[in-house]
Amino acid sequence: MKPFSHGNATSIEEALEALSGMSWPLAGGTDLLALMKEEVAAPERLVNLKTILGLDAIAERQSGNENEWHIGALTTLSALSQTPAFADHLGLRCLVQAAQESASPQLRHMATLGGNLVQRPRCWYFRNRHVPCWRKGGRRCFAFKGENKYHTILGGGPCYAVHPSDPAVALLALNASLLIAGAQGRRVVSLEDFYVMPRPDRQREDGYHPVTILEPNEILTAIVVPEPQANSRSVYVKRTERGAWDFALVSAAASLRLEDDVVKEARIALGGVAAIPWRANAVEEVLIGQPLSPELIEHAAGAAVAEAKPLEHNAYKVDLIKGALRQALQI
Amino acid sequence: MPTIRKTQVEFEGRIEEREVIVEEEHIESWGHDVEMRWVGKPTPRVDGIARVTGKAVYTHDIQLPGMLIGRFLRSPFPHARITRIDSSAAEALPGVSLVWHKGKQPAVRSLDGRAIFVDEVNYEGAEVAFVAARDERVAEDALALIEVDYEPLPFASDFHTATAADAPSVVLGEDNWIDREGDLYERGSVEAGLTDADVVVELEFTTPVAAHCCLETHGSAVAWEGDLVTVWHSTQSIFGTRSSVAEALEIPMDRVRVISDYIGGGFGSKWGAEAFTLMAALAARETGRPVKVVLNREEEHLVAGYRPGTYQRVRLGAKQDGTLTLIEQEADVTTGAFGGGGHVVGGPAKDLYLCPNVRTRVRAARANTDGARAFRAPGYVEGTVALEGAMDALAHKLRMDPLALRLANYAEKSPSRGQSYSYKGLRRAYEMGAERFGWSDRTASAQSDEGPWRRGVGMASQIWGGGGGPPANAIVKLLPDGTAEVAVGVQDIGTGTKTVLTQVAAEELGLPLSAVRCVVGDTLPAPFGPGSGGSVTLASSTPAVRSACREALRQLIELAAIMLGLEEAPAGDFTVEEGEIVYGPDPEKRIPFNQVTAKMGNYMIVAKGARGPNPEDRAVNTFGAHYVQVAVNVETGQVRVERLVAAHDIGRVVNPLTAESQVFGGVVMALGYGTTEERVIDPDTGLQLTPNLEEYKVPVMVDIPEIEVVFVDVPDVEANSVGSKGLGEPPIIPAAAAIANAVFDAVGVRVTDLPITPKRLLAALRQAATESKEGTR
Amino acid sequence: MAISFRGPGPIPIDLNVNGEERTVFIEPRRTLLSVLREELGLTGAKHGCGRGQCGACTVIIDGETAYACLTLAVDCEGRSIRTIESVSHGEQLHPVQEAFIEHDGYQCGFCTPGQVVAAVSLLEHNPSPTEAEVREAMAGNVCRCGAYPNIVTAVLDAARQGTGRDPGVSGATVASGEEG
Repeated sequence: MKPFSHGNATSIEEALEALSGMSWPLAGGTDLLALMKEEVAAPERLVNLKTILGLDAIAERQSGNENEWHIGALTTLSALSQTPAFADHLGLRCLVQAAQESASPQLRHMATLGGNLVQRPRCWYFRNRHVPCWRKGGRRCFAFKGENKYHTILGGGPCYAVHPSDPAVALLALNASLLIAGAQGRRVVSLEDFYVMPRPDRQREDGYHPVTILEPNEILTAIVVPEPQANSRSVYVKRTERGAWDFALVSAAASLRLEDDVVKEARIALGGVAAIPWRANAVEEVLIGQPLSPELIEHAAGAAVAEAKPLEHNAYKVDLIKGALRQALQI
Repeated sequence: MPTIRKTQVEFEGRIEEREVIVEEEHIESWGHDVEMRWVGKPTPRVDGIARVTGKAVYTHDIQLPGMLIGRFLRSPFPHARITRIDSSAAEALPGVSLVWHKGKQPAVRSLDGRAIFVDEVNYEGAEVAFVAARDERVAEDALALIEVDYEPLPFASDFHTATAADAPSVVLGEDNWIDREGDLYERGSVEAGLTDADVVVELEFTTPVAAHCCLETHGSAVAWEGDLVTVWHSTQSIFGTRSSVAEALEIPMDRVRVISDYIGGGFGSKWGAEAFTLMAALAARETGRPVKVVLNREEEHLVAGYRPGTYQRVRLGAKQDGTLTLIEQEADVTTGAFGGGGHVVGGPAKDLYLCPNVRTRVRAARANTDGARAFRAPGYVEGTVALEGAMDALAHKLRMDPLALRLANYAEKSPSRGQSYSYKGLRRAYEMGAERFGWSDRTASAQSDEGPWRRGVGMASQIWGGGGGPPANAIVKLLPDGTAEVAVGVQDIGTGTKTVLTQVAAEELGLPLSAVRCVVGDTLPAPFGPGSGGSVTLASSTPAVRSACREALRQLIELAAIMLGLEEAPAGDFTVEEGEIVYGPDPEKRIPFNQVTAKMGNYMIVAKGARGPNPEDRAVNTFGAHYVQVAVNVETGQVRVERLVAAHDIGRVVNPLTAESQVFGGVVMALGYGTTEERVIDPDTGLQLTPNLEEYKVPVMVDIPEIEVVFVDVPDVEANSVGSKGLGEPPIIPAAAAIANAVFDAVGVRVTDLPITPKRLLAALRQAATESKEGTR
Repeated sequence: MAISFRGPGPIPIDLNVNGEERTVFIEPRRTLLSVLREELGLTGAKHGCGRGQCGACTVIIDGETAYACLTLAVDCEGRSIRTIESVSHGEQLHPVQEAFIEHDGYQCGFCTPGQVVAAVSLLEHNPSPTEAEVREAMAGNVCRCGAYPNIVTAVLDAARQGTGRDPGVSGATVASGEEG
């Protein structure tokens, strides 16, 4: 790990003032420190956000006629998964499931939800300092024609690494939005707009092509989840190779509102299949307005992969994501 | 009087004829009916407190005043020529003590005949430069300052690339083949086997490259005191390390002391001095300060060995009643740029079954990776996957119970050697395991499918050596207060060696366990003991301990006889009971052990003992059978091992508690091998993509099935005086094969590429579905 | 107010380790694990992977388990750190430690300090876990030797013993953690 200097922020404003291209925010550190140890990232200064009070609170707030949940970005994954208001809430349960199935107990104690959402891809080429891949400023994606069993089947390149977060998939299904603080003020961005497909025109000072729209001098401060309407339910289903402590091969989050078995509302998000948490609009279109029958679920699962273009070693993900989605819709 | 005798010793599938010095009278083996106080009783480890409190000192934990830390710069290419190297900036960095590389060579340039810093690097991770510095940070900063220009060269990462007609040279000027003709074994003839067969099955298998993943990475710490050097080395062989250090440094053996008190896993990968050991020793000598070099996790994956992957073809022929007429097995392995590792893949095929016609061939080629190393039952794990998978396919084709097929081909004598076994309890292991598992009711569990989950059962069996043999020595000291010190030159790599040695000494001496202190893992106080490989440690060293204890008692009895006024009585008239020496003809005449020793002042009785020869004309082997139930999810491709019964014949079980642990460990490792673990090398760059514990997936707590262990536990009284054989390796041998067979039973599709990941299982199901559709058209 | 940055060279850092205040002079890039092992002589926590992928470095920070190899020491100022060295008191072992010995919940022992710390923390939060809860809670600690079945047995037994026989030991460590 390269040397760096370290400062504790006591307020968002203080932190914002200090952030820049080579001055990075540090929260749980479980991703950033690993990247720094691999020498895939080498910030010159770290701005510790954990010393900002109040950024780890979870609160229900009124917004117009609707209620919404504000989850401070420093909320750890374990705190999130132990929040009874979510765990016991059929409509929000998928978020707890996603948090609980992330990483290991120790990492869930350390990792923050904000950090989890902005983590970098877990691709085995990207994380290898000897491989000059596109994502970190090189010319090409080595996975595209290489060892790509863990890579994308939807959305294409130029980077084929999947987004690794479990909670992001759940939050996408829950129609979450993010509060972002920047030098120019605050903004609210839907989670769907927060993630961006790989684009050559977006590049950081160190060559990295970011996965999110978060600028180097901005901080993600909170995650806002609208209170689901009555009769909503949600599920997160994750497939892995190992029984625990493994990134998703694929995952599916479904948030449904049913009336008399007819799907009134549906938001479906898929993980492990694309460079970003993947909103499955086509699946939602199949579901909405229809009675939730085995045939409909089968049809929906098919719609999820209609556009899939597997690479050489990951065609199995097509079967896998269909199965995960079927399971998510059945519960 | 010492004499020289010849004896047969098996080590990891190879039989060696050794000349050994035999120096004491033969000791009768503890028979079946001998009542034991310590041996055979579940015994918590004697060093348990150190292990659970964090006080156990591993090589990683060695910290000495003024100690420097060494690190290597390693090749980022699988094959390249170094055209320029400039370390001036690194040398100028404050805190850097020295830098070595091909342009600035250390005093000793090579190890085991191979130069360390050279122009041509042949694998990712090959040593390019070495730095010793004040601490790890400075050392790593210095590495980053070394400028190296590489000219990348063409490379081959796998067997097919390396052996193709136009293959690039893995090592310039060397043939890519290490063994083109192959290591061949043949009895009878393949043609005869085919002619006699009613049924033939032929299958191809691939097995993955598996990493040892010792949690304590390899490392050494070295300190000089004058011309004496102490080497802390995380090793499975302190004496092997001592001789290799002495040889590399060209110094006398008595100058070298090797300590390996606690070892954080070895599994076959930790033997003698390595490049890091040599650099630590040289840097320590040059700087006058202790030097420690430990590998990081990435280096552990790159340069600390692996079980080679195999491509295998197996052909079995059998009569309608299941009698085998042919076993043919061919395997191709890549063992790294400079070879290495055991790959006796044909071992099980030679010896597991009675079959007149057997042919095995193992070919080996180089590849641009570091060398393979022995990994817990090297060759036998890979070979058993294919052999026992093919036996399962044969049973299926013959519509026979897989267990019945095995029993139909049971070998009462060693098929390859023609010798009788000292003891073979495989039949009993089959029976005990089948009974515990409920094998005869297996269809019931197989029918309990739920939703997408399909249940299935499978079994596989195992042969291995583990008989050990000479040479091995022990020294026993009886101290004035009646306690005893036992020094044995072995090491406890986590198997519980120290505990079983203590049990055996306490048993023989008639002392409580707490009155015996056993020292292992240090060459200075201990006489020679073997390296911990081939499952030989216990079977080699416990008889030596018995023999030393017997000699110590002989001396003690002589003293007791004097004190009892029985100088003239024959030694055989005395026995040791409950800490007392008793005169048999008149049991009233007795004297407590510690009253005799108390007479000695600070003098002590010192006795040595040696391992006797192995029995003449006997094969000494271990056996076992595993029975597995799996649930396979046909939607997710997930294989969940639900239950595994492991039945093993290792002769006498000295410590049932730690023996059961060994079986758990082997099974868990095989579970990873069979379902999740796999080294991946990028074909384009030749770089390893899995050099960490995130991408290389070892099992974790939630993956572990219910594992039940049963031991035949009949003393092998012919094998050695303790009647016990090794258990380190046997339990890893059959489990992956049994799991794969159970998967077949569950879904009717045989996955012959390990590990059986969701990707492979779903692909196999999909292919089977396509084939059956085509078949019905 | 602007943040005052410290480093990249060595800076003084105050740590509370096992109830003791310790000051070390270190670079900000130092992990808690390297400080425990190299500066404070607490070598019970092991360096198995350095990437939060094995669990051998598990410690308890402010009452929750964490990987010391992925934690900056400088981020631990003002927090309470407990290591394996605090689990036993002199010759008095924690029920978890006694159970590991009794049930052979280890082999090479290298992962054991991390396993014991994870188990102690589990029982502090959940004094009578089910087997499934033990497996989930201990899933962040790799044992390459495969002692898992005995570790589960040991933790379950310690839970039984710990609540009935000797609540004092485990209670005392909870208290010191909360006070720190």
